[in-house]
Amino acid sequence: MDLENQKRVLEFTEEYGKDNVVVILGAAEGEAASLAAETVTLGDPTFAGPLAGVSLGLAVYHVVEPAVKEEFDPAVYDEQCGMMEMVLDVDDICNEMNAIREQAAEV
Amino acid sequence: MSNSVIKGAGYILVHVPGMVMDHGTTQTTEKVVNPDSEYLKEMPSHMRSYEQALSYAPNQTYIGNLSIEDLTAMGDPWYEEGKQVEGKRYGKFGEIMPEAEFILMLQICDAFDLVRLDKDFVAATRPALEAHPLMTPAILGLLKEGVDQDDINHYVNEEHAEAITLDGKLVGYVKRAHDVDANLSAHVMFENLVAKASGVLSILHLVKNAGIDASEVDYVIDCCEEACGDMNQRGGGNFAKSEAEIAGLKNATGSDARGFCAGPAHAMVEAAALVKSGAYKNVIVVGGGCTAKLGMNGKDHVKKGLPILEDCLGGFAILVSENDGINPEINLDVLGRHTVGTGAAPQNVIQSLVTDPLAANGMTIKDVDKYSPEMQNPDITKPAGAGDVPEANYKMIAALGVKLGQLQRTEIASFVAEHGLKGYAPTQGHIPSGVPYIGYARESILEGKTKNAMIIGKGSLFLGRMTNLFDGVSFLIQKNTGKDDAPVAAAGSGKQPVIGIAASGTELGRENLEKAVALAAKKGVKAVIIDGEDCLSKMEEMLKAGEIDAAVASHYPFPIGVSTVGRVVTPAEGKEMFLANTTGTSSTDRVAAMVLNTVAGIIAAKACGNDKPTVGIANVDGARQAEIALNKLSEGGYKINFAESSRADGGAVMRGNDLLKGSADIMVIDSLTGNLMMKMFSAFTTGGSFESTGFGYGPGIGEGYSQLVLIISRASGAPVIANACAYAAELVNAGWTKIAAKEYAAANKAGLAQIIEDIKASNAKAPAAAGAAKIEAPAKEVCDADIHGVEVMDIEDAVTSLWAKGIYAESGMGCTGPVVMVNASKLDAASDVLREGGYIK
Repeated sequence: MDLENQKRVLEFTEEYGKDNVVVILGAAEGEAASLAAETVTLGDPTFAGPLAGVSLGLAVYHVVEPAVKEEFDPAVYDEQCGMMEMVLDVDDICNEMNAIREQAAEV
Repeated sequence: MSNSVIKGAGYILVHVPGMVMDHGTTQTTEKVVNPDSEYLKEMPSHMRSYEQALSYAPNQTYIGNLSIEDLTAMGDPWYEEGKQVEGKRYGKFGEIMPEAEFILMLQICDAFDLVRLDKDFVAATRPALEAHPLMTPAILGLLKEGVDQDDINHYVNEEHAEAITLDGKLVGYVKRAHDVDANLSAHVMFENLVAKASGVLSILHLVKNAGIDASEVDYVIDCCEEACGDMNQRGGGNFAKSEAEIAGLKNATGSDARGFCAGPAHAMVEAAALVKSGAYKNVIVVGGGCTAKLGMNGKDHVKKGLPILEDCLGGFAILVSENDGINPEINLDVLGRHTVGTGAAPQNVIQSLVTDPLAANGMTIKDVDKYSPEMQNPDITKPAGAGDVPEANYKMIAALGVKLGQLQRTEIASFVAEHGLKGYAPTQGHIPSGVPYIGYARESILEGKTKNAMIIGKGSLFLGRMTNLFDGVSFLIQKNTGKDDAPVAAAGSGKQPVIGIAASGTELGRENLEKAVALAAKKGVKAVIIDGEDCLSKMEEMLKAGEIDAAVASHYPFPIGVSTVGRVVTPAEGKEMFLANTTGTSSTDRVAAMVLNTVAGIIAAKACGNDKPTVGIANVDGARQAEIALNKLSEGGYKINFAESSRADGGAVMRGNDLLKGSADIMVIDSLTGNLMMKMFSAFTTGGSFESTGFGYGPGIGEGYSQLVLIISRASGAPVIANACAYAAELVNAGWTKIAAKEYAAANKAGLAQIIEDIKASNAKAPAAAGAAKIEAPAKEVCDADIHGVEVMDIEDAVTSLWAKGIYAESGMGCTGPVVMVNASKLDAASDVLREGGYIK
C-alpha cells in the first residue's frame, strides 16, 4: 500500500478509534487487495511504510464483496461500480479477502 | 481546414543498469531507509546484460523489429527461458542504446560544463558513438576529451557531484549547477540531462524515419516527466528547445507540456491543433526517459526470482504535419477528455475518454479497430500485483459497451482479443501512455490493415498533491480522408468559399472581369480579381495559403494527367451538359484520355449534385475503342450509366444532334475536339468573339490533383466567368477532392490502370529500337518558361530530346495545347533543340 495512504489510515485510526474505521478497497487484483488488507490488519508486509510492525486490526472489505454491495443503493452501486464488477475477478478477490480476515482473526 | 497527419515516429530504449542501481528511486530510497537490506544485496545478481536486454522480445517490439502480432503469439511472460529473440540494436523505429554510449550523449547534451567524464573512458567509447549512423559531426563535435580520475574523485567525494558509473566503475560525474539551489543540484541536473539526451536520440531517429529535413521542423513539444528551472521558476523550461538545438532543428522553437502520464496524449492533441490551425507545419512531440522509475518494481521482481525488467530508459518522438493526403490523420472531432466534473469512478473515466467522444460522432466502441491505452508490459506489472494493465483497460471498455447496449456480455472476451493490444512498453510513466502504438498504427493504417485507432492517455495528477483529480485525454487516428477537407455543409451554413479570378490576358478588358464579380455576387458567390502579369503565380500562392478556395484562370499549365471538365448549356432544350474534356491532357493516348475523361466527368457531375449521371461518347476518332474500354470498366465494378443516343439506332456513341440536345449528362470527348465544341457552345449566339453562355472550360481534374483551378478563355464574357465562379463554389462546397478520391479509388479497384495500359499498348507506335539507352532526366530546375507548338503525341519525345542535350524539361498543358516547360535561361537553347528535332516550327 502506498506510503501516503498508510499514513492516512493510521491518522484516521488514531483520530476516530479502531472500532470506528472500516477500510474499503478498490484494488483491481486479488493479490493487491490481499496486500492492502494485510497492511491495515496485520501491518505492512513490505516494512516500508508507517504501518510496518503496526497491527491495526481494522475491518476491511473490497467494494465488490457481497456484504459491502448490499449496503449500497443499487442504482448508485450500478452507476459507480457496475462496470468494474464485470471486469474484476470477483471470486478471486473474495477468496483473498476472506483468507486475510481469517488470518487476522487468528492473531 | 484539413486534419493534421502523423508523418513518422521514433522509439528508443537505453539499457542503463548502472542508473538502475544509482538513480532508481526504489533503490535510492532503500539505501536511505534500509541500507543493509537483502534486496540491495541480491539485486545486482538480477541485472540483465545488454545482450539479454536486446534479446528480450518486448524491447524488440518497442523499436519495431518484432510485430505486436508475433509478440502476442509468443505468449507472455516473455522473460521465460526459451523465449529470447534475435537481439538487434537497431529497428525500423529506433534503437536500444548501450549505457556507455549514452553516457557520452549526456556530456554532448550538457551546455554548461556540468558533465565530466574519465578521459580513458571517453577515448575507449568514442569510436562506438562515431560509428552511430545518426551522430553528425556537429553532434560529435560537442564531445570533450575528458578529465583524469583525480578530478572525478574530488568532485564526487567533496563537491556533491552525482556519480556516473558503468559496470560498477566510476567514469564521470554531473556536478551541481548552483551551490544552494536544490533545483540545480547535481541530482536534478543528472535526471534532466538523461531526459534531454534520450529525447534528442528519439528526435534523431524520428527525423530519419520521417524522411524530413531537420530544418523543416518548426515546433517541438516536450512531454517528459521532469521539470527544469531554478529556484525562482522551478518548472521554467524548456526541454523542447534544448533538445531541438542538439538535434539540429535550427528553425524550431518549442515548449514543454506536462500532465503526468497523460502528458504525451495532451501534447499530441496540442500538436494536431497547432498544425490544423496553420500556426506551424511540422511539430514534433517528444518524451525522453526517466531515471527515477528505473527498477521501480525491482523488489517484486527480485522476490519472484525474475531479472530486474525495468532496466531501460524509454523515449519516443512523433512528427505531426500538414495533411499530405497520404498519412493517417488525427481526427480532432473525436476528442475524449476527463473533465473536472467527470468524477473518479472507472466507469466515468472510461465513459469520458472512450464512449462519450465516440457517441458524439455517431460511433460505438466497435467502430474503433484498435485501442491503445496504458501499454505497460505485463511482465513488469503482473509480478508487482498490478495485473495486465492494457487488458484491464480493454475489459473496462467492453464492460462499459455492455452497459450501453453496444456489446453483448458474452462478447467481452472476443472484443478484448480483437480490439486490444498486448502491452510491450517499459513502465516509464508517460512512455507507455498510449503513444507507443502510434508508430505501428501509422503503418497498419497506411497498409489498409487497420482503419483507425484510439490513443488514450491517463495521468495520476493527485501524485503532485495539487488536486485529488485524475486526468486523461484521448484522440482518434484514422485513414487519410483527403487533403482538402472542405466542409460538406449545406448551402448557407459554414464558410463561404472565395474564388480568385486570374485573367490578365483577357481580350475583353478589366471591366468585363468586374462585371463578372458583380454577377457572381448576385449568385451568392464571392469572387476577387487577381491583377498583374504575374497573376498566375499570385494565384498559386493564394490557393496554397488558403486565401482563396479556388481560382478561375484564362490560362494554366496543368500537368499531363489533368484535364478540365467543361459545362455548357445545350441549345435544343436548354439542358446543362458536362463536356469531358475541354483543355489539358488526361493521357497522351487519345482513347486512354477519353476513358480517364469519363471518370473526371463523373467526378464533376457528382460534385454538382448529379448522383447518377449518364455518360455518352462523342462520335470522334477512337469512340468505339473508348466504349469497349468503358464497358470493361463498368463490368469490372465501376458502374457507368450509359446514355442512349436520341437517334433511331440508339447506343452510347453520340452524334452531333445529341450534342445539341444534351442527350447525355456527360459528353466524353478528346480535349482538342472538346475545346472546339466548348467555344461553339459558348459563342454561337454572339458570332464568336464573345463567349456569353455556359460555365467555361471547367476544373482541372486528375488523380491525386487537389488544386482547384477552372479555365475560362480570353474571350469569355462576364456571364461565363460568373458562372465559372459559381461552378467552382459548387465544387468547393461539395468537398470535391473527397468525391474525386472516392471515384478514383472505385475505378482503380475495377481495373482502370490495366485498362489504360492495354489501350496504350495496343495503340503504341513501333517500340523504340532495341538497345536504345534510356535517357535520364538531368538535375531538376525551376521550369518557368513555356514552349508552345509541339504535337500532343510527340510531347514526351520532345522532353526526352531536351534531356538528351542536358536541358531539364517537363511536359504540361496550356490552354492552347501542349507545352514543354523549361527554365527561362534555357528557353532559346531548348527552342533550337526542338526546332532541330522537328518538334516545332
